[in-house]
Amino acid sequence: MATLELKGVEKFFGATQVIHDMNLSVADGELVVFVGPSGCGKSTLLRMIAGLETLSSGEIHIDGQRVDYQPPSNRGIAMVFQSYALYPHKDVRGNLGFSLKHDKVEKSEIDRRVNIAADILGLQDLMSRKPRELSGGQRQRVAIGRAIVREPKVFLFDEPLSNLDAALRVHMRVEILKLHQRLKNTMIYVTHDQVEAMTLADRIVVFRAGKVEQIGTPLELYRTPANRFVAGFIGSPAMNFLNADCKDGKVLLNDREVCRSTHPDGPTTLGVRPEHLQVDKQGPFQGSVQVFEHLGGEAFVHLNLADGQTMVAKLDGEHQFRPGDSCQLGIAADKCHVFDNDGLRVAS
Amino acid sequence: MRRIQDRLGSVGIHAILLSWTLLALFPLALIVVNSFKTRKAIFGDPLGLPTGKALSLKGYESVMTNSDFPMFFGNSLIVTCVSLFFILLFGAMAAHAVSEYRFKGNTFISIYLILGIMVPIRLGTVALLNLIVDMGLANTLTALILVYTAQGLPIAIFIFTEFLRSVSREIKDSARIDGLSEYRIFFEVVIPLVRPVIATVAVFSMIPIWNDLWFPLILSPGEETRTVTLGVQQFIGQYTVQWGSVLAALSVAILPVLIMYVIFSRQLIRGITSGAVKG
Amino acid sequence: MTQAASTSTPPRARRRWYILVFLAPATLIYTVFAIYPIFESLRLSLYTAQENQPVFVGLANYAKLLGEPYWADQFWNAFKNNIQLFLLHMLIQNPIALALAALLSIPTLKGAATYRTIFFLPTLLSVVVVGFIWQLILSPLWGVTPDAMKALGIGNLFRPWLGLESSALVTVTLISIWQYVGIPLMLFYAALLNVPEETIEAARIDGLNGWWIFWKVKLPLILPTLGLVAILTYIGNFTASFDIIYSLQGGMAGPNFSTDVMGTFLFRSFFGFQAQLGDEYMGATVASALFFIILVGVGCYLFGVQRRLQRYDS
Repeated sequence: MATLELKGVEKFFGATQVIHDMNLSVADGELVVFVGPSGCGKSTLLRMIAGLETLSSGEIHIDGQRVDYQPPSNRGIAMVFQSYALYPHKDVRGNLGFSLKHDKVEKSEIDRRVNIAADILGLQDLMSRKPRELSGGQRQRVAIGRAIVREPKVFLFDEPLSNLDAALRVHMRVEILKLHQRLKNTMIYVTHDQVEAMTLADRIVVFRAGKVEQIGTPLELYRTPANRFVAGFIGSPAMNFLNADCKDGKVLLNDREVCRSTHPDGPTTLGVRPEHLQVDKQGPFQGSVQVFEHLGGEAFVHLNLADGQTMVAKLDGEHQFRPGDSCQLGIAADKCHVFDNDGLRVAS
Repeated sequence: MRRIQDRLGSVGIHAILLSWTLLALFPLALIVVNSFKTRKAIFGDPLGLPTGKALSLKGYESVMTNSDFPMFFGNSLIVTCVSLFFILLFGAMAAHAVSEYRFKGNTFISIYLILGIMVPIRLGTVALLNLIVDMGLANTLTALILVYTAQGLPIAIFIFTEFLRSVSREIKDSARIDGLSEYRIFFEVVIPLVRPVIATVAVFSMIPIWNDLWFPLILSPGEETRTVTLGVQQFIGQYTVQWGSVLAALSVAILPVLIMYVIFSRQLIRGITSGAVKG
Repeated sequence: MTQAASTSTPPRARRRWYILVFLAPATLIYTVFAIYPIFESLRLSLYTAQENQPVFVGLANYAKLLGEPYWADQFWNAFKNNIQLFLLHMLIQNPIALALAALLSIPTLKGAATYRTIFFLPTLLSVVVVGFIWQLILSPLWGVTPDAMKALGIGNLFRPWLGLESSALVTVTLISIWQYVGIPLMLFYAALLNVPEETIEAARIDGLNGWWIFWKVKLPLILPTLGLVAILTYIGNFTASFDIIYSLQGGMAGPNFSTDVMGTFLFRSFFGFQAQLGDEYMGATVASALFFIILVGVGCYLFGVQRRLQRYDS
């Protein structure tokens, strides 16, 4: 059983606070993804869990044991880095076994664990190669293998796929998912890519400027984002935000009712996901087509509304528009999100 | 540059480069070739090859047996190797410290340590001589080693620091997670990492040491501690008549640098061109 | 990294002694044997010896250096020669280095590795060796040069160049250039190789030919290296030039001081020559003057040249 608990963790670099009062519990076997734009503190927090950065205050517990004053090697963690961080002068076998050799683990045990890791990751044919003779994907596999042989309580991944090209990234994402299903370890995974977060995570922690914006399962974040930031960050293409008015519990856009809301009367922000829009002759969104992108199975319509606001809709591939065409879109009322002036989502 | 080639022609380019090659090599060849000749042949036919009757190893014989030359050679070897070892080790350690750790005064110390690139240590010669005499190190190889180490450190630290800053921090973090102490990280991770620039630093540090005339002349001119460069300089003064010996001495003095260069030239160029030495 | 840990947590700001251990040896040796002597020399330049005791005299030594004809003549002569040496290096050595580097950096050139190995070779040699080699070659005694010139039919143009007051300094400079052209050559070569291939291709698409690409694209991009080479030439010319002069012409920088530079002047002031006794305080004064001359150069470089030259990220 390996749980991870952060209690009131804070971090200052000089006078700047980069992590604000962080509290989080990760259950055994859970894969939690930290996601957020670059510079939001997610990597710093991960490095604090690893023991590579000190805490300014707060506590970290792994498996019920307080570890924040322990050196990295005593915390029962293993970490996979963005740049792979392989030792360039050691071959694959040497890289895989290095930490165990340092721990004075018996030779037969090292071999056993190295071979298991190599089997899992398909590295058997590459064991005597040096890192420079490997492709990016292979290097990342070795880096993951090096984490596996440590048999850690918690795996830490710091943007492990960011250096790979798009196709390989998708492939390795699936590999990591399979690995998690097989090893059932607790994992913390840091990325700035919301697609990675959505596909991998049991739970996602969305960061902004050193603070947690929302914690939840991928679908919770998608369906009920706590605020505009999360709503805009999760989902691709990003949610449309339109300036609307609220009157008598109705949300109006260009004087047409879109949905109902408990928001008090006055200006409000309406959030609409592109994929929830459809062509609807009665729909509230009316405008002229600016750009039409056809991707085969689906198509994106960039619409210029009557009041000058723009929005994007994701339609299925049967539709065909030309620039300048007029177009009318509708949406199911329960798919609409309404945000107040502080950017918080208003429960419907 | 394809057009330049078209215009000047590949032949023209090679003609220019070959002329400079000739200019660079001819004086050297002249010395080495004549060092193998008899006195008569040296004067009679300076451009001839040492074949048949002209061949003589007398010069080398007298240099190696009838002079202190082998001792000078040993002195130079000791001074150069020990200084080089300290420069590389201490330089890499300091560069690692300033490039890896955040601490108060980091910027100050890294600027302080490379100031010596711009301010030649020779300017402190007067006080340096007093210091060496006060320490009782006058006419010792230790004095030269200490001074050369101090002299070589700034450029070594500069090159190592630039290089280490370009290397990902993550590999060191990875070693920390593997449980290595900071010292073992330096010796087992950082040292192998800086290997590509070690040759560059070594050659850049070694040449001025091996060839230096100033400090041996001032700090340790004694017979026992003379370096090969100073030795050759004095030797030339004493034995100008023994041309064969002088030429042999010169050839021997060239040798170690030449060997070093041939061994490291590929790595040296790679080190320079990889951007380790930037403006 | 030494933030005050809050009271409820264990001490985090562990003393990181290893940083000190890594820095100590280099800092210690460097401070004691490089920085301290330079500042101590500056201090000594404010003293003079009276009955073997140092006495503080303020700037009197400098006044002597620039005021008394005996010192001032030597100082300005050496300074003038140094400037001439510097200008000749800038006008001959560095253009040759740049031209050779430009040719070597042609991507299709065959044998570039061999060429650059050979071009750097003279740089590796001791000036003592180089000095003697050229002394021999130019000597009327051995006769390699006179004979060669005779063969070319210009034998009557031969002069003992190193021995003539009018030509000694230029000859020494040319020998120095022969030896040291390798350093700027390497720096230029490295800089030229680091010019991004895309930039050159873009210029080619813009219709520039080889020469124009060199002048308009590559040269501006390697300007920082040009600045670096200039300052290295400046510093080397004021300090390192001692070696080649001393080994070619001796401490008297003959004939008749025509090749005297600050280095040889410093050496003579410190150790004395002929009837003149050595004076460590005057030696320190000459060294300090040299220090300020170099400081001015480095200052110009850092604040003028380097600031205006934009560096591209390679």
